[in-house]
Amino acid sequence: MARHESWNARPARRRAAITVAALAASALLVSCGSAAPEQNDSGPLSGDVVFWHSFTQGPRAEYMARMADEFEAANPDVSITIETFSWGEFQTKWTTGLAAGQVPDLSTALPNQVVEMINVGALAPLDDVIDGVGRDRFAEAALREGAKDGVSYSAPIYSHAQVMWYRTDLLEAAGLDVPETWEDLAAAAVALTEGSDQFGLSVPMGTNDLMGARFLNFYLQSAGESLLDDDGRANLTSDAALDGIQYWVDMYAQTSPEGSVNYNVLDQATLFYQGKTAFDFNSGFHISGVVGTSPQLEDAIAAAPLPRLKAGDPVYGGETSNIATVVWEKSPNQRAAKAFLEFLFQDEDYIQFLHAVPGGMLPSLSDIAENAAYLDNETLQRHADSVQVITDAVPMSTAIGMDEGPLVQAGILTSQGVVEMMFQDIVLNGVPIAEAAQAAEDKLNQLFVSAGVAF
Amino acid sequence: MHTRTHNITRLLFVLPSMLVVVSLLLYPVLSSIYFSLTNRHLLRSDAEFIGIQNFLDVLASPEFWAAFQTSIRWTVVSIAGQLLIGFLAAIALNRIRHLTGLFRTLLIIPWAFPAIVIAFGWRWILNDVYGFLPNLLTGFGLTERNVSFLSNPDTVFWVVVGINVWFGSPLFMVNILAALKTVPKEQFEAATVDGASGWQRFIYITVPHVKKVVGLLVILRSIWVFNNFELLFLLTGGGPAGLTTTLPIFAYRTGWGLQQLGVASAITVLLLVFLLVLASLAFRLLNHWDRKDAS
Repeated sequence: MARHESWNARPARRRAAITVAALAASALLVSCGSAAPEQNDSGPLSGDVVFWHSFTQGPRAEYMARMADEFEAANPDVSITIETFSWGEFQTKWTTGLAAGQVPDLSTALPNQVVEMINVGALAPLDDVIDGVGRDRFAEAALREGAKDGVSYSAPIYSHAQVMWYRTDLLEAAGLDVPETWEDLAAAAVALTEGSDQFGLSVPMGTNDLMGARFLNFYLQSAGESLLDDDGRANLTSDAALDGIQYWVDMYAQTSPEGSVNYNVLDQATLFYQGKTAFDFNSGFHISGVVGTSPQLEDAIAAAPLPRLKAGDPVYGGETSNIATVVWEKSPNQRAAKAFLEFLFQDEDYIQFLHAVPGGMLPSLSDIAENAAYLDNETLQRHADSVQVITDAVPMSTAIGMDEGPLVQAGILTSQGVVEMMFQDIVLNGVPIAEAAQAAEDKLNQLFVSAGVAF
Repeated sequence: MHTRTHNITRLLFVLPSMLVVVSLLLYPVLSSIYFSLTNRHLLRSDAEFIGIQNFLDVLASPEFWAAFQTSIRWTVVSIAGQLLIGFLAAIALNRIRHLTGLFRTLLIIPWAFPAIVIAFGWRWILNDVYGFLPNLLTGFGLTERNVSFLSNPDTVFWVVVGINVWFGSPLFMVNILAALKTVPKEQFEAATVDGASGWQRFIYITVPHVKKVVGLLVILRSIWVFNNFELLFLLTGGGPAGLTTTLPIFAYRTGWGLQQLGVASAITVLLLVFLLVLASLAFRLLNHWDRKDAS
């Protein structure tokens, strides 16, 4: 009774409570909506720029944060928000972000991801940025990986190439020469495999990464072929491909830790950093990895060109990665994002960025490679021979599957784990090589078709 | 009239939180059901209605049935192990008179860690090159060379189940221990006086008192374990050679790997239906026990 009388006595308060509840609900609904995009085509730069990159820690992350601060200081109406994701996470991040309409203004990307992004119209043209930096400073092959119909959609920020790394001390102690052919490599790796503590060469086959495809691609490249044939179909059943699969299956049995069947790129590299493997394939990132993990081995590593089929065959490039930066089509602040991207290529700062991982990140601007300030780096000088091997390899190749230009198939080859699953089926389930290769090839071709490829 | 006004006021006050719950719970489920009836691709916004074609394709897929079978094995063996270890630990803790708090805290430690810490920790322990366990076994001469527990087809399933049992047993232990504390001691004393053996006391006194708690735990943990994604994915990625690929991992690979969102949604809808049927059967059993006890 008392409560009934109190509600009657306070109608104004009750109406206020209802109003507050309604406003709260409205605020909730409004906050869930996205802000209308703003465009600012002239005048001072302004807006919030969201920058996704995969330099998750260390000097590169610090560099990007510093550059963002400097850009904001020079452009007070611009705010740059950086979000970092590992390379592996970024694939999930951008695909789900695109589906949800939550994409950044600017991001880094792997070459195979750029192809997928271009294919779905997710990227803004970057010809203005490339021309602003200087188109002739970029390698043509690097620009071609991010171009479609004569329009460039990505600007490469650094490059690296896959080479063969080896332990000079172990080879010297065993009286072995640096292998030049696959046969030499197999013999040396077997000779340098001892028990559970040292392995000649780990053969990674984890389905969460592209290492199986990478290793098989090396063999195919040495035979003048690729993981894609001339029609863009998967190539796993040619004579060279079957030989390559057999080669790596034999190497797994003789020179590799059993667990490498699940290895991704980091598991693989860690073994070399720790001095557990005598050979490995990777880019110049191995230098900083060894220095950081086992500094006593820094002078015991060196790089050589990838093995060839026969001793007289020419040196070739197995795989080159031109790490890309892209601006997203749905960005409401493309002008500011492009300006910041161009800002990252200023010579002095760009050289500092490259020196964050010396030898690992090679300049995507050709004149920087000859720049005295760039070359004035202790690590680059100490490992000059190895860096030269990598530098020579960069223009000789492309990303996996992009020998004939950017193709959607290239992304599928390296993101679906099909080649890796094929290797696992062979070594763990005993499936005959020809049968496993045919099944994997058929599956890849089905995936190409489902992605819209027309043969 | 005043009552109706009160009800409207109350409704408006809870409306915001209801909207949040509905959007977070119902919206994803309804979206999945909708996408499962289309050929929705992750990167393409256009999609056509294709009816139940995705379901037919999934049900005809050998990979789906392999993942389903792996999920069943993973769940049944994990729950059996968690129940057994949890029960034994609870019984043991119930008998301890000193330092019970310390033992209970130590035994619950696995449950306290996030799955990512557990997965990465065990991957390091089990690494066949520098992992502690393989090197220990080789050092003691128990193995000729380091075993790769997570890469060997003969060991990988049992190892991941073992890790899951280690991780999930504390939840059973804590809840069963709480239920054991409610068992009247007089019943045990009376049974002892009557000459009942330890096993008979366990079957006729302990089990009836804890079975409802255990039953509910088994239902809930079965659903969680069946749906579990992160532990297996972080430990093995569903490998090697798909040997530990469960339905959630299969759905993830289909949706985010192959970008076939429609097909992945069909897999998750089938998963939902299966778990709903299972849960309803299990709750009917629990209700049957309730009615039986009441009568």
